[in-house]
Amino acid sequence: MTENNLLSLIIFAPLFGAALNWVVGGKLKNELFSGAVACGTIAVSCIVAFYIAFFADGGAMFADKPTLDHLWTWIQVGNFRADFGLGMDHLSAIYACFITFVGLLIHIFATGYMHGDSGFYRFFAYLNLFMFSMLTLILADNFLLMFVGWEGVGLCSYLLIGYYIKKDEARVAAKKAFVANRIGDWGVIMGVFLLFTLTGSISFYDKVVDGEKVNSALNIASAMSADPFTWGAIVAGGLTSVAVLLFIGATGKSAQIPLFVWLPDAMAGPTPVSALIHAATMVTAGVYMVVRCNGIYQNAPTAMFIVAIIGCATAIFAATIGLAQNDIKKVLAYSTVSQLGYMFLACGVGAFVAAIFHVMTHAFFKALLFLGSGSVIHGMHHEQDMRKMGNLKKYMPITFITMMTGWLAICGIPIWAGFFSKDEILYKTFATHASASQATLFGQPVNMILWVFGLITAVMTAVYMTRMMWMTFFGNERFHDEADVHAYAEHGHDDDHVHDSHDDDDEEEHHHALQHDFKPHESPWTMTAPLVILAVLSTLGGLVGIPYAMSSIFGAGDVNKFEHILEPVIAKKGEHEAEKKEAKHFFQAAQPAKEKAGEHSETKTEKAGESKTAEHAEHSPEEIWTEQKLAGLSVLLAGLGIFIGWFMFKDNPLRKMPKLLENKWYIDEIYNKFIIDPITNFSRKGLWQGFDLGVIDGIVHGVGQFVTAIGSIARSFQVGFVRSYAAFILLGALIVLGYFIYYGLKLVG
Amino acid sequence: MNYITENLLTILILLPVFGAISVLGHSMFWKNESQAKWITLFWVVVNFVISLLLFGSSQLSANGFYFEKNVPWIEAINTNYHVGVDGLSFWLVILTTFIMPIAIISTWGAVEKRHTAFYVFLLLLESAMIGVFVSLDLLVFYLFFEASLVPMFFLIGIWGGANRIYSAVKFFIYTALGSLLMLVAIIALYYIYAAKMGTAGTFDYVLLVNAAKLGNLDLVGTTGTLLFFAFALAFSIKVPLFPVHTWLPDAHTDAPTAGSVILAAVLLKMGTYGLMRFNFTLFPEASREFAPIFITLAVIGIIYGALVAMVQTDVKRLVAYSSVSHMGFVILGMFSFTEQGMQGALYQMLNHGVSTGALFLLVGFIYERRHTRAISDFGGLANSMPLYATLFVFTAMSSVGLPFLNGFVGEFLIMLGMWKSHALTITSSVNWNYVATMFAGTGVIFAAVYLLWMIQRVFFGKITNAKNKGLSDLSWREIGLLAPLLFLMVYMGVYPTPFLNKAKETVVSIQQRVVGGEKGGSFEKAEVKTENQLKH
Repeated sequence: MTENNLLSLIIFAPLFGAALNWVVGGKLKNELFSGAVACGTIAVSCIVAFYIAFFADGGAMFADKPTLDHLWTWIQVGNFRADFGLGMDHLSAIYACFITFVGLLIHIFATGYMHGDSGFYRFFAYLNLFMFSMLTLILADNFLLMFVGWEGVGLCSYLLIGYYIKKDEARVAAKKAFVANRIGDWGVIMGVFLLFTLTGSISFYDKVVDGEKVNSALNIASAMSADPFTWGAIVAGGLTSVAVLLFIGATGKSAQIPLFVWLPDAMAGPTPVSALIHAATMVTAGVYMVVRCNGIYQNAPTAMFIVAIIGCATAIFAATIGLAQNDIKKVLAYSTVSQLGYMFLACGVGAFVAAIFHVMTHAFFKALLFLGSGSVIHGMHHEQDMRKMGNLKKYMPITFITMMTGWLAICGIPIWAGFFSKDEILYKTFATHASASQATLFGQPVNMILWVFGLITAVMTAVYMTRMMWMTFFGNERFHDEADVHAYAEHGHDDDHVHDSHDDDDEEEHHHALQHDFKPHESPWTMTAPLVILAVLSTLGGLVGIPYAMSSIFGAGDVNKFEHILEPVIAKKGEHEAEKKEAKHFFQAAQPAKEKAGEHSETKTEKAGESKTAEHAEHSPEEIWTEQKLAGLSVLLAGLGIFIGWFMFKDNPLRKMPKLLENKWYIDEIYNKFIIDPITNFSRKGLWQGFDLGVIDGIVHGVGQFVTAIGSIARSFQVGFVRSYAAFILLGALIVLGYFIYYGLKLVG
Repeated sequence: MNYITENLLTILILLPVFGAISVLGHSMFWKNESQAKWITLFWVVVNFVISLLLFGSSQLSANGFYFEKNVPWIEAINTNYHVGVDGLSFWLVILTTFIMPIAIISTWGAVEKRHTAFYVFLLLLESAMIGVFVSLDLLVFYLFFEASLVPMFFLIGIWGGANRIYSAVKFFIYTALGSLLMLVAIIALYYIYAAKMGTAGTFDYVLLVNAAKLGNLDLVGTTGTLLFFAFALAFSIKVPLFPVHTWLPDAHTDAPTAGSVILAAVLLKMGTYGLMRFNFTLFPEASREFAPIFITLAVIGIIYGALVAMVQTDVKRLVAYSSVSHMGFVILGMFSFTEQGMQGALYQMLNHGVSTGALFLLVGFIYERRHTRAISDFGGLANSMPLYATLFVFTAMSSVGLPFLNGFVGEFLIMLGMWKSHALTITSSVNWNYVATMFAGTGVIFAAVYLLWMIQRVFFGKITNAKNKGLSDLSWREIGLLAPLLFLMVYMGVYPTPFLNKAKETVVSIQQRVVGGEKGGSFEKAEVKTENQLKH
């Protein structure tokens, strides 16, 4: 156990920045000050995070034991304890590094993007507060502190989505996001309760606090025997229930079916927020939690199955909607939902490393795409409708080129980052087939169905991204087409009255009718520099995790650094295989059998030195060949998608898309009509007016009137005092009654 | 100084009474009411400062109380002036003396008539509330319990809103009705003690509990059940527990701000305090047996209160219904009979006092400016009153239980306690304690819905009503009022240890008493019995 008090600096630097910006920045109203404070504190976090991850005590990213930092005991009642303690192991080290780094770039970008906004200091205070929450989430050493960050990012997301408080869509979206997240949070809390009752701990790591030994709940859970699914078990409680409950939380935070509806609406916030919170960091918190709890999930095959199905379904569902959106940010939002689906698909088939790999590459290229879209929106004077863009490559060359790299990355073109991570997920989905023969659907192994859907999603991703790029950067310039603009705007209002109503906002300077001499302009360096850096990362970032099958083509041997770093985090079910033979696993043996054998022989001390030989043992030639074939197929399909996109939209960028897709399958309308409205109406008409005012108060009044009537027979009173006299009579009656009871008791006793 | 600490509780009770006399005397001699508030403020602040001396002592009396005082009062019926604080009442007394100055200042300029009477009632109310929390003699407790009713009745009835008479009478009938049954039960206990022990009867809580612990009073079976319910009804109405909650929204809506704040912060706690103090220790068997009823009602109340709060059109009524929901959590935690649940319940009492107190203050501020509380009259207030909007959102977050603010710690412990509880049936396929917790947990979701929906309609968007345009933001007086509450929200959320430690010993002893000695032992048996009874 390594102690390092610097760890708390990572989270407290942004908190300090938030406070400083709120208190001092609010008085100064100086953009240079606010920007410097915000970026400076994140830079501190970033430097410290990299220092601890790579250098301090040999680097937390390579060490056997996590680096811990215990601050104080937060809640301790009975045998329950929750510390304010931080811990950095391999998983949180990766997260901390990319979050602080991408976060820093986005902060810098935002100083350019938010230039001239009256709430500049407030924006950066919120953004810093978000970084504090997010870093608390990933560095927490126990579930409850993680939950602090978990709710904290939800709050910041609420504040930042609703940042433009005058916009109706912003305030509605903010509340929607918070409530959807809250529904998920319910699952997390219940999951934590159950885990605590099962293991007696909520800590992530084994540690000693104040001389008291604290056990890791995760280790205990992963040492338990696998929990076969039964219906009754859901409320009786077992690891499956824990996993499912936690996953409910993940569907909220990471925008999966059925709670994904908040994320697209969240685009009402400023674009840097969309990039930071709703693409790169916060929305991947669900993936983080599932991977963090992989020991639990591996013992809960049913839950794994559910995760895979939900992830895959979300991936393809969101992709269909993404095909038909006209708002540039909406396309990216649905693409994010879809990519998050991939990550959960990976978790569900046991490819936890691939999931985290995709989280990281996605953070690079999706942040890039969002910031690029922010640059476009900035250059277009807050116009987000792609139907009014076109040929921007002429005006915004840097934005264009950097976004092209993001496009290549998300489409899955080798060597760009997205290719490696997405291909890894698809391959792992395919490969689970070998061992997961029991789960079938329509006579096919389920994982094959998931794999096919994953491939279709990949094609659709390429199509909608190509459409987006084409509508924005190529073709004819449409920003002067007044007549058309109005026609589209009207049209937009018809179908989509909530989301397209920017025009009545005075604070935001949304110009719908762009002036005739309007020319889009390239953004300042504070915005383009982060784009360039992210473009480089999107291009080269995938190289840290090249699968063995790919690297062997170039004779590079085994260069999959990423997997080696994360390996120790993933609980090894192989080690417990003997006790678990009876357990039915859907995707349990996710890794090919040989890999397991390889791991089995591995001991912890050997790992660093001999991993290479172990790797070699894992990869049989047939498997490598399969993986290479599948990768080739992925590239072909990505190319096909790009071709379809180009073919369909090159001459007709405004091609009419199916109404069903444009209206997002009417999911929002369905939720409103069948869930929200009935609850509201029932509460108002049934509970409040019916039961509360009608039944209960009716009884109360009835009793009052009854007593009044008796009272008026006995004596006549002045009007106005009747009620109070009635009360006294009632009370008198009760005293008599009480006396009877008392004598009754005396007889009994 | 020695004299003060020896008679600390008596001083805390009597000082407000002296204050009331001084306010009366002042207005009689000088015929000037405008200084009444200053005199009142002086006395309540002094009382708060003196109450801080409670922190000073760690001398537990033989009976397990601090600052215990026991002197004969009416010897004919063997009733004593017996007072003392323990972990259960300690923070509630502090909460009372702490909230009083805030309540006084909250209506600084808003009292329009009969100033003297207004402040006299507030001071008498403080005296009664402290008396309730420190009394260790059932008759004295009952007197204070009833005495607290009268000032509040007049505060609502005279200085209240449009429907004040109706609300005041409803408040009075509801609560007096419950407490009269309690009086019957108290008298019954007196005679039972006399009969069983062969001595004179007693109202002394300590004597009664000790006798009950030894099984001498035989408070089981029908006797125990009847007495348990006589107490429980009085306290449940006070809490208020669904379905006897309908006095609360009316009383809150029509009470002046000071009244609402005190009602929410302190008066409701008398109910939960009483259940834990008297029902659990005097009638543990009945408490266990009927726990499922209370848990069910608490869960219903949590969801019901939240759903009804969601559709309110009046901000204050919304906050009032949210109280029903929050107090449901307190009941839930208490009846889980686990250390976590009961500690959480006690903590949540304090949290609710701080957060809901602050919410009523905030509603009062806007009412003073606009003389309306209808949500539809507002919109876009964040534009004209940004600081107010910020602090409102902050307080709302505390109320919805955002981690690192106070509400979370309480609600989390309560739900954790309920989850671990054995109060409900556990079968091989369904653990009903889990089910109850899961349902209760939805209350936290709905809390976010009703508060954020209200915030969205009141604060966000553009100003639609011209009257809201020129509103002034919070004054220094108002900021100063909120500041200590906001500080507590953060402090209690981040570092609850001092609060929990102070209460720990007492809570554990009550928990041990109610589950029957060794942990879970006889409780498990009681469970089986309940299960059988349900089958029949």
